[in-house]
Amino acid sequence: MHGMDVELNDVSMRFGDFTAVHPTNLTVRAGEFFSILGPSGCGKTTILRMISGFLNPSSGDIRIGGEVMTRVGPHQRPTALIFQNLALFPLMSVWENVAFGLEMRGWQKDRRRDKAFELLDLVALGDQGEKKPAELSGGQKQRVAVARALAVEPSVLLLDEPLSALDLKLRQHMRSELRQIQRKTGVTFIYITHDQGEALTMSDRIAVMKAGVIEQVETTDAVYNFPATSFAATFVGANNTFAGTITDASGDSATIESKYGLLRGKNPQNLAPGSEVFLFVRPEKMQTLAASSGAPNTIDVEFVRRDLEGPFINLFYRNGADSFSVHMTNARSALDDPAAQAALCFAAEDGMILPAGDVADE
Amino acid sequence: MNNLLKSFGPTMTAVILLLAGTWIIGMIVGPQLIMVEQSLWHNAKASDAVGVSVRIDKLYNEVDLLGFSKADAEAMQASPERDRKIAGIAASIAEKKALISKLEAHEVKSTRAYSLRNYAMMTGNHIAIFFKTIAASVAVTLIAFLVCYPIAYTVAKLATPGKAALIMLGLIVPYSINELLRIFAWLMILNYNGVVNYLLGLIGFDPVPFLESGAGVFIAMVYAYILFMVFPIYNAVETLDMAQIEAARDLGAPVWQIHRRVVLPHAKPGIAVGCIMTFMLSAGSYAVPYIMTRGTAAPWFTQLIYNKFFESDDWNVGSAYAFTLLVACIMFIFMMMRLFKVGIKDIAK
Repeated sequence: MHGMDVELNDVSMRFGDFTAVHPTNLTVRAGEFFSILGPSGCGKTTILRMISGFLNPSSGDIRIGGEVMTRVGPHQRPTALIFQNLALFPLMSVWENVAFGLEMRGWQKDRRRDKAFELLDLVALGDQGEKKPAELSGGQKQRVAVARALAVEPSVLLLDEPLSALDLKLRQHMRSELRQIQRKTGVTFIYITHDQGEALTMSDRIAVMKAGVIEQVETTDAVYNFPATSFAATFVGANNTFAGTITDASGDSATIESKYGLLRGKNPQNLAPGSEVFLFVRPEKMQTLAASSGAPNTIDVEFVRRDLEGPFINLFYRNGADSFSVHMTNARSALDDPAAQAALCFAAEDGMILPAGDVADE
Repeated sequence: MNNLLKSFGPTMTAVILLLAGTWIIGMIVGPQLIMVEQSLWHNAKASDAVGVSVRIDKLYNEVDLLGFSKADAEAMQASPERDRKIAGIAASIAEKKALISKLEAHEVKSTRAYSLRNYAMMTGNHIAIFFKTIAASVAVTLIAFLVCYPIAYTVAKLATPGKAALIMLGLIVPYSINELLRIFAWLMILNYNGVVNYLLGLIGFDPVPFLESGAGVFIAMVYAYILFMVFPIYNAVETLDMAQIEAARDLGAPVWQIHRRVVLPHAKPGIAVGCIMTFMLSAGSYAVPYIMTRGTAAPWFTQLIYNKFFESDDWNVGSAYAFTLLVACIMFIFMMMRLFKVGIKDIAK
């Protein structure tokens, strides 16, 4: 098995009057774990279905391994799709499920049975081959679906939110397992999800998508630390948002005029004075102050609530209708009395100034 | 049972059970038992019993005729000759009446003789008709399946909702017309000088005797019972997750393999129900073969049963034949369940 690259050239998809995917250019490199991250209805599944061949793009072309895929059916493409509900065949045994693609390729029964069990070993289900899918647990079904897709030796594996039906613990476990399988096989994974945690933990690179448009394609670190748009900043991870206008821009930082006074942050896109902007600060970069100091980048707040998440603590504050969050580790230094805090502040290098735009819904 | 009690309370539960029991015993078990009982006996008579009965009938006739002669004599003018004649006739009548009562005392009352004779009556021609009916019903079922499966699949999985509704409407609308009229429509189409033969004539073919060859019965039956095949299959296919079909396709399955390995196994219970219904309706059909052949082709087994009941007036043999057909149908149900490896529970779904 070896991965192939996938290239979308001006690919768009329209359903009647509705444009599900606006003309998009995208290159997924051979052998990488690539995630397309976006809220439901943003067109990410449409992209996946176009790559798998179940949908024909309204315009543009898709190349896999350099070959144009127009007019190549799903069964002829070097791709395999893992469906959101897995779509295991309930009436066949587990090994028959895995061997289905080989059966369709005319393999003899003994040979495809051996191959199926080999693949089941790969996903640690070697002893479950004779069972029916309904007898397996959610995570096991998941792995059967992976084995079934890998059986046809695809160069590109397409995954349509396959973990969404699992509970949190299992989901976290399956993340690392999928990552491992991807490393072991070297197959290109294109993973669709609306769960930013999933995308961040597994992927090499992420495409952030909104309303049929890919807003940013970067490595996971770059997407998290340097979001390109307001949407990417708020959809991937949480952010505290301050609206304002740039009053002064110099070098890679700028000052904005907001209702909390002047705030300083980094200005990676070199926006000019006068621009309507949002300044974003990650909750883990926010600090609390016992009393308002009047120093720059300080906001007076009142305490709302403290949520213990085990290793982390989320603190919520508000000022009027604006709410802010602070994320801290549950270390010995954690605050004893968050309610006594009267102000929040952040360092200028932790503020990120981006053009004002749509933000993700809470 | 407990659920019934919980949902409807004791009074309603009692009423429901009573109605269900009445229905099962009064409409299903009772009539069947009576029929089976009837099929097991026949009227047995002594060997000369027929001769005696005929003689008695003849004597009654003669008595009646003498009565007329006597009336004629009484109408004559009074004379000694008249009196003598009347006396002679009266004596003759008395003599015959004495003989009648003697014979009637002697006449053997017919008795019920229990045996399998009624079933054994089904030989030669009758058994040929029986097997022909079964074979023809199987053929109708098969044809109906071949016609209905693509329709059901198309409506359930391929057509857009709007189109699917239209196709369904097209299937249902003809069924709002009386069954007899629908069959008559086919009669007109397939008649020797009907629409099809007219069209065949236009392109230079000789007319085909569709009805006389029995092909008409097939066509009309497939049409008459098509819905009973389409709906169960449609219901079954409809529940199949589209992702299953796509997964098979993605893994390289050509269309026929998708159907063989994914759709058909899923639709099995529906197919079994459709086949059972179509077979039972075809094997038990009376109107379709009656109208479509009009006696020009070999009869359906149901026509034979009808004749036994209402033309030969031999309810016992009729019951035996009807029961035989019932057994054949039940055997077909079990065969279908075996063949499709489905249980009663799957079918009930």
